[in-house]
Amino acid sequence: MSTEPAPGAPTWNARSDDTLLELEQVSRVYGDEVPVYALRDVSLRIHAGDFVSIVGPSGSGKSTMLGLLGLLDLPTSGNVRVAGTDATTLDDATRSKLRGESIGFVFQQFHLIPHLTALGNVETALLYRDIKPRERRERSYQALADLGLSARADHRPVQLSGGEQQRVALARAIVTEPLMVLADEPTGALDTANAAHVLEVFQELRSPERAVVLVTHDPTVANTAHRKVSMRDGEIVSDERAVQAG
Amino acid sequence: MSSSRDLLGVAWSGLTARRVRTLLIMLGPIVGVAAMVAAVGLTESAKGDLKQRLAQLGTNLVIAQAGGTFGSQNPTFPADAVQRVRALPTVTNASATTNLSSVIATPIAGGSDYYQSFPVPVRAADASLPSVLQVPVLDGRWLSATDEQLHMPSAVLGAGLANQYGHLDGEIRTIRLNDTDFGVVGVLGSVALDPDLDNAVFITQWSAKHVFGTDGKPNQLYVRSQPSSTQATADAIPTAINLGGPDQVSTKVPTDVLQAASQADKTLQQTALFAGLLALAVGGLGIANVMSISVIQRSSEIGIRRAVGHSRSKIAAQFLLESLFVGVLGGLLGALIGIGVVYLVSSFAHWVVVISYQRIPVWMTLALGVSIAAGLYPSIKAARLEPLETLRLG
Repeated sequence: MSTEPAPGAPTWNARSDDTLLELEQVSRVYGDEVPVYALRDVSLRIHAGDFVSIVGPSGSGKSTMLGLLGLLDLPTSGNVRVAGTDATTLDDATRSKLRGESIGFVFQQFHLIPHLTALGNVETALLYRDIKPRERRERSYQALADLGLSARADHRPVQLSGGEQQRVALARAIVTEPLMVLADEPTGALDTANAAHVLEVFQELRSPERAVVLVTHDPTVANTAHRKVSMRDGEIVSDERAVQAG
Repeated sequence: MSSSRDLLGVAWSGLTARRVRTLLIMLGPIVGVAAMVAAVGLTESAKGDLKQRLAQLGTNLVIAQAGGTFGSQNPTFPADAVQRVRALPTVTNASATTNLSSVIATPIAGGSDYYQSFPVPVRAADASLPSVLQVPVLDGRWLSATDEQLHMPSAVLGAGLANQYGHLDGEIRTIRLNDTDFGVVGVLGSVALDPDLDNAVFITQWSAKHVFGTDGKPNQLYVRSQPSSTQATADAIPTAINLGGPDQVSTKVPTDVLQAASQADKTLQQTALFAGLLALAVGGLGIANVMSISVIQRSSEIGIRRAVGHSRSKIAAQFLLESLFVGVLGGLLGALIGIGVVYLVSSFAHWVVVISYQRIPVWMTLALGVSIAAGLYPSIKAARLEPLETLRLG
């Protein structure tokens, strides 16, 4: 991995002290008797301002990588650091708190809670944080409004289109103002128009303080990112930065 | 804590989102508690009229009767028997009467032959008798201290006797006792605990002594004890009166028979209680079952909650709280339904409703306990779900 800034690269090509999230010599092994390496000795740094796509064929370790980056899973060996904190040593409650505060998730299948309204779904991300219900509602409503969904706040997921559902999921991901938005095939279940719209939103989510990470096998989606990490057989085979980013 | 409030909200919305399912799993605690409330309520209410009467009479009256020494004709207590009994710490009130078996009462002039064959009992009594018996004076007044002091020839009639010879309220009337006319000053209400008194004529101890020449020694005591120590008091009275002497004293608690009759059918009650427990247990299995399936159905929700930062313990608490709500609401609804059934059946059967409200919280706690126990496994299962597996990442 090059740490040299590419010529003409924007500020997202940050110095190492801007590292938001770091995988260090991380391996993830499934199975005991016959170990299967889903990831093997992978090191990766995500910096503030990064807009990264992680690409690779099925079985290349993308999903495992996403689980580890999102603190949903722990590595078999190696370290995962979030803003300097080693997440592998934390207990579940602390790690969950760290996850909730630093990472926003967007999934291919949206994963909205069906019995809650759009607003309720966004509010879910702000629960258990000592936030007053009124403030929680206001912030959630604002996040929906920012994504053009204020009229849909009281609708349940089943009453929303796919594109709207994904935007609700986006609102849920960003309402906590996370350090990193982590998306898994965010346009995989959307038609072209909605997909384009959602990708636009991802572009807008970029900020100098935040990183956006897309896991995808769709080259169109991958090419919207400014940094492309390619994987194969549980290893990173390339980590390229687009020169003409932005 | 806002965190607990958040948790309550999450659990509540989880339940209200699936109302039919929630109602179905609530049936266990509902049926269980309702069955237990109704079982005890109905069996008790069936004897409710007796219980009500007992409550009115008070179960703490002890009647002590002088037995005398063997062979004695007209056994009596010592003159200070009332004072001795009142000294017992468990006694709250006591009154003495003396049977005047030699006195012939003639309520109606000219009926003396009849009343010699069927004598009206005449008793000397003190001022406290109505209050000890807890019986009202129906007309006029009871014998007073003034009657004693002024040596008035006053008499009070029992309710049965007054009725029998047609006493009218406010009537000025005399009753002849042997050869002396006594003025009737009042009528004592009916004494359910000692019906003998209903047909008696009561006069003062002074009259008994000085008009009829008695020695003033009582032969019956009516004693009220503290409610919880009736039997102990009844047992202590003979010693207190006798102080180890040879006189025989027999005591009885007149409500004992009534109390036995008022006991609910325990076998029936226990069978129904057992049925209620069974319903609770089966309901608990139902809750565990449905909640387990629900955890699988809601795995995506659990995954996403984990992803947005809810810890395993919060997920467990959420599902446990849902079970707890089922128990609380089911128990509450069950209690209400049970009480409703008791009132409904009692109104048709003309029973006096008796509901042991103090036992209902126990059953509701039981329902709650069953629900929590039933929710334990599903909530642990929910907490253990791996978010990566439930979110089906691409």
